[in-house]
Amino acid sequence: MPYPEKPLFHLTIHEAQKLVQSHALSPVELVRAILKRIEAVDGKLHAYLHLMADSALAEARVAEAEILQGRYRGPLHGIAVAVKDQLDLKGAPAQIRSKPSIHLQTSEDSTAVRKLREAGAVMLGKLAMSGLPSDPPQARNPWNTDHITGGSSTGAGAAVAAGLCMGALGEDTAGSIRNPASLCGIVGLKPTYGRVSRYGLAPLSWSLDHCGPMTWVVEDAAYMLQAVAGYDPRDPTSIRAPVPEYSAALREDIRGMVVGVPRHYIEECRARTDPEILTFVDRAIEELESLGAHIEEVTLPTLKLATIANAVIYYNEHFAAHRKDAPTLIKTAATARRARIYLGLLTSAADYVQAQRIRSRVKREFAEVFQKIDLLALPGQPGPAPTVEQSGPLDTLYKHLAPDFLAPFNLAGLPAVNIPCGFTRANLPAALQLAGKPFDEPTLLRAAYTYQQRAGWYEKRPPI
Amino acid sequence: MEKLTEQSLVALLAQAGLESKEGDLERFEKLIDTYMASLKALHSVDLGDEEIGPTFHPEWTAK
Repeated sequence: MPYPEKPLFHLTIHEAQKLVQSHALSPVELVRAILKRIEAVDGKLHAYLHLMADSALAEARVAEAEILQGRYRGPLHGIAVAVKDQLDLKGAPAQIRSKPSIHLQTSEDSTAVRKLREAGAVMLGKLAMSGLPSDPPQARNPWNTDHITGGSSTGAGAAVAAGLCMGALGEDTAGSIRNPASLCGIVGLKPTYGRVSRYGLAPLSWSLDHCGPMTWVVEDAAYMLQAVAGYDPRDPTSIRAPVPEYSAALREDIRGMVVGVPRHYIEECRARTDPEILTFVDRAIEELESLGAHIEEVTLPTLKLATIANAVIYYNEHFAAHRKDAPTLIKTAATARRARIYLGLLTSAADYVQAQRIRSRVKREFAEVFQKIDLLALPGQPGPAPTVEQSGPLDTLYKHLAPDFLAPFNLAGLPAVNIPCGFTRANLPAALQLAGKPFDEPTLLRAAYTYQQRAGWYEKRPPI
Repeated sequence: MEKLTEQSLVALLAQAGLESKEGDLERFEKLIDTYMASLKALHSVDLGDEEIGPTFHPEWTAK
């Protein structure tokens, strides 16, 4: 196996795992290269909240020994990953669960982290997210550090794009995996609700929270999803369904696939969407057609209310989940989190039930449309990453209150993946979003992979 | 913020044993007004006999 010509921190999981398996690359060497990279650039990016360099090196040594003894566990063995603060990681502080002067040290791994460890992954530490009580420095976008990463998986977006970890786990309640993935030019996959356990995930909204991978390429998302997917009796919403072999779906062939485009909804969002993004997404859809997919316009009449229904459920469940801590949160939490508490409090039971009725209607409309199509294609974001100066603490909440491209798939629990589809004149990433039927992540991954291989955007790395 | 909304929020806070952080009601005034308008929009749609049924259906896998 030839040694790579590019820096080790820019290897994808797919590239590194072949080298690690064939003993051409030591996990220790890999982790050292990434730690050095973190030391060099994280002062500018602020992706990490808590770096576990010593334990990561110790885990890498164990992985190296196991592989040399012929006990190779699979594609994540010896691969360095990190997780959003929201996921419990044994031995690391959980800032989202902390209060001023009480810094909670997590004594147990979340199920998703435990499964990554079982697959042999090396844990680098915890990544930043927006809305933390300690108000850490805002994560910066590796494509241009004057710009934000998008949230709330802010650190994961920055870390994966800049080579500060090989993959990350994020969490998505209203787009929090897919938004930073879009703004940072990486792949962000929100699996079907119930596919990945939420046990050990600090809740924002029980029925909308999804845990999923954020990676540089689609292959890596498939590897990470494989490791974390599956039934977990400790999560009451976890689904007992067979887990397919996701990597087997990764072949460049979408001939005959039917891709639905909700043009009416894209029009609904047009006033709030950058025309450059729409151009890139149109080109990507044309590319899918040139690769053999059939493009069909679809109509989802209630979709225009999906984002606000998602917000109503989110804020109400958030208040219910944190009711006990509300007296402290209202005094000490970050601006956006305090605002969510007030909005949750203002939401009546009738509002919540109406939002749930809209959820049922939207799900039914999706179900009808998915009788005729395999996938939906639409923009992955309304615009390129704004500058830090342009962005305010309440921007995300305002976005939740008007039709957008991401939240409808939280509301319906459908799987969705965002992949890079171009770069703006200011050299900031644009993303295409593909959404699929429940538990049909293989079709999503295949289409995303086929497009990725044709478009080749993954070859371009941030200048940092 | 509309007077009625502000009164409701203050009453709801009191009922929950909470007190708003100083300046928050003014700080979030525009957001709260936008939210209240969104709640109205939520109820503007005729959902007929739609109920809450958060289930997936086997036929979803058919094309």
